[in-house]
Amino acid sequence: MIGRGHPWLSLAPALGVTAVLFGGGLVLGLMGSFGMGRGGFTFDAWSAVLSEGRVWRSLGLSLWIAFASTALACVIGLGAALLLRRRFPGQGLARLLFQINLTIPHAVGALGILWLLSQSGFLARLSAGTGLIDGPAGFPALTQDRYAIGIIAHYVWKEVPFIGLILLANMQSLGDDPEAAARSLGASPFAAMRLVLLPLLRPALIRAGAIVFAFSFGAWEVPVLLGQSAPTALPVLAWQRFTDPDLAARPEAMALAMLIALVSALLIRAAFAGRS
Amino acid sequence: MVRMMAGLGGALILAGGMAHAQDGTSDTEALLGQSWDEIVEAARGGEVNVFMWGGADNINAYVSDYIGGLLEEDYGITLNRVPLTDTAEAVNIVLGEVEAGAKAGAVDMIWINGENFRTMKQGDLAWCGYVDKLPNAALVNFDNPAIANDFGTPVEGCEVPWSRVQFAFAHDTARTDAPPRSIPELLGWAEANPGRFTYPAPPDFTGAAFVRHVFTHFAGGADALIGPFDQARFDEVAAETWQILNDLEPSLWREGATYPTSITQLQQMFANQEVDLFFTYDPAEVGTAVVNGIFPETAQSYGLTDGTLANTNYMVIPVNAANKAAAMVTQNLLLSGEAQLEKAQPDVWGAATVIEPDRASQEVQAGFAALERHPSVVSIEELGQAALPELQADWTSAIEDGWIANVGN
Repeated sequence: MIGRGHPWLSLAPALGVTAVLFGGGLVLGLMGSFGMGRGGFTFDAWSAVLSEGRVWRSLGLSLWIAFASTALACVIGLGAALLLRRRFPGQGLARLLFQINLTIPHAVGALGILWLLSQSGFLARLSAGTGLIDGPAGFPALTQDRYAIGIIAHYVWKEVPFIGLILLANMQSLGDDPEAAARSLGASPFAAMRLVLLPLLRPALIRAGAIVFAFSFGAWEVPVLLGQSAPTALPVLAWQRFTDPDLAARPEAMALAMLIALVSALLIRAAFAGRS
Repeated sequence: MVRMMAGLGGALILAGGMAHAQDGTSDTEALLGQSWDEIVEAARGGEVNVFMWGGADNINAYVSDYIGGLLEEDYGITLNRVPLTDTAEAVNIVLGEVEAGAKAGAVDMIWINGENFRTMKQGDLAWCGYVDKLPNAALVNFDNPAIANDFGTPVEGCEVPWSRVQFAFAHDTARTDAPPRSIPELLGWAEANPGRFTYPAPPDFTGAAFVRHVFTHFAGGADALIGPFDQARFDEVAAETWQILNDLEPSLWREGATYPTSITQLQQMFANQEVDLFFTYDPAEVGTAVVNGIFPETAQSYGLTDGTLANTNYMVIPVNAANKAAAMVTQNLLLSGEAQLEKAQPDVWGAATVIEPDRASQEVQAGFAALERHPSVVSIEELGQAALPELQADWTSAIEDGWIANVGN
């Protein structure tokens, strides 16, 4: 195929966009992190970033957010897909409701979480109205909190339909045959699901989970709206460095961005490697 | 990339500037020897290229239409307003021209303050020593430290003030009838009212300004921090300030485990009654929030008895400006009582004046006295009685970094 050249030729426009916009940005970011373009080539920014306690705390927080969000979204998304696969009255409506928040931008979702869960949000007001708490401080801290509950809640809310949709499509292409065969050979419904369906779904689940992980690890807008002041998620820290009036902080911002890309790529690579 | 585009834009503007810089007033020495009338005559019929941040329509209209109209009418001078997104772009143009030896530069005036002015003054890019020539400079109190120092850098006749902003606090009179009116009172008040006060974590601009107030207090006042950065002095004051702010944490919102990340968040928390105090570098904002229904009618902004930070913004003439006479006439017009009064009208801009109204004509004084201000906004006069000069950039960044490392973690 490659020898004939056609697929490469046809793919060239798409690959060109990826190479220029993504590859180019990555290369420029990497060069910037070594202080190139500001005269010379140094490891100063990298050594400053890697020796800073704040960076490691931020990395830990970002890993926690990404792992927790991905795990919860995968489990709930899988459960929802298994339920929605069945035929029942109103199934179309149920699927529509399940998918509807795919169209809502993350920033809007995060503001919604703020209005719902913050200490002066809807639930807090409801609790105050029913006399459960006497003031905003009486409501548990679910946003800008130490455990990033608000951020994780947002990602789970947003990514469950994404995972569910991918699994539903996957199950549609698998069809009922593998499970039916297992059942006819005497497997219980649960055993058929656990031993036949789930292993068949696993590749799709890992792929979808990897996308969710990469996003929740690298995105800035949700932790900046729902996160606490310290430690901040790694992307927020990178943005703070990038907008520092002191231009000397710019290479550090680039190094942080590269660190995000690197950790994300390594972990996703490991997830795919573990599959085979 | 941005820098490349700015450079390209600068080159284009530079090429354009060369073409029309021929009125011969760049002979600086001769200009300073002339009387004001002679300078006005030299400027007549010329043009002036004003480079300024262009992000607010009302400000642009005030400069282009009101000031530009008066210049055209009275002196036949054409005002070309060149909008910038970042003042540093104009400074870079001047720097490039001066390094290239261009005598007749494209930039005649820049709206400036802080770090950018420091860069221009240190690089000998600002034209100095002409300010006394402007008749309306007599309306300005140059002995006021908040005007004589631009973020800690002495002005020394190298720029002319234009407007002022001053930090103010706000409370809800229905909730808090006796708000703290000084930094020590505030610290005590926060302890007596646990959970009802907090401040945005630096690097938020307004949060950093609040921390500077506390820092200034423990330094023993603003005078102690004027001038270049002093590491020994910083270490001494910082140790005490971080100690106090850390000790305060148990009394703050969420026991200081976290801080709001932006001034917008603090504004919402004040609106939602999660905290009882708000502060802002633009007191007019409190009035706007009441008008928009975000704050209750009972919200009120106020100053501190030991002063709040103020900063002044200025107009600077680059050392190589081609149209210095026209720039001087423009600056003189900007400082006139009438132009300052127009600028202070809430529906025009609402910017605080840099002149002393009582040095201006009766009409202007009456105009300033009649200025309508939202009842929730503290009067500029009341606020201005205790104004602290802003610190130099080295101080502000050291305080910011120190807070993040010692308090914010």
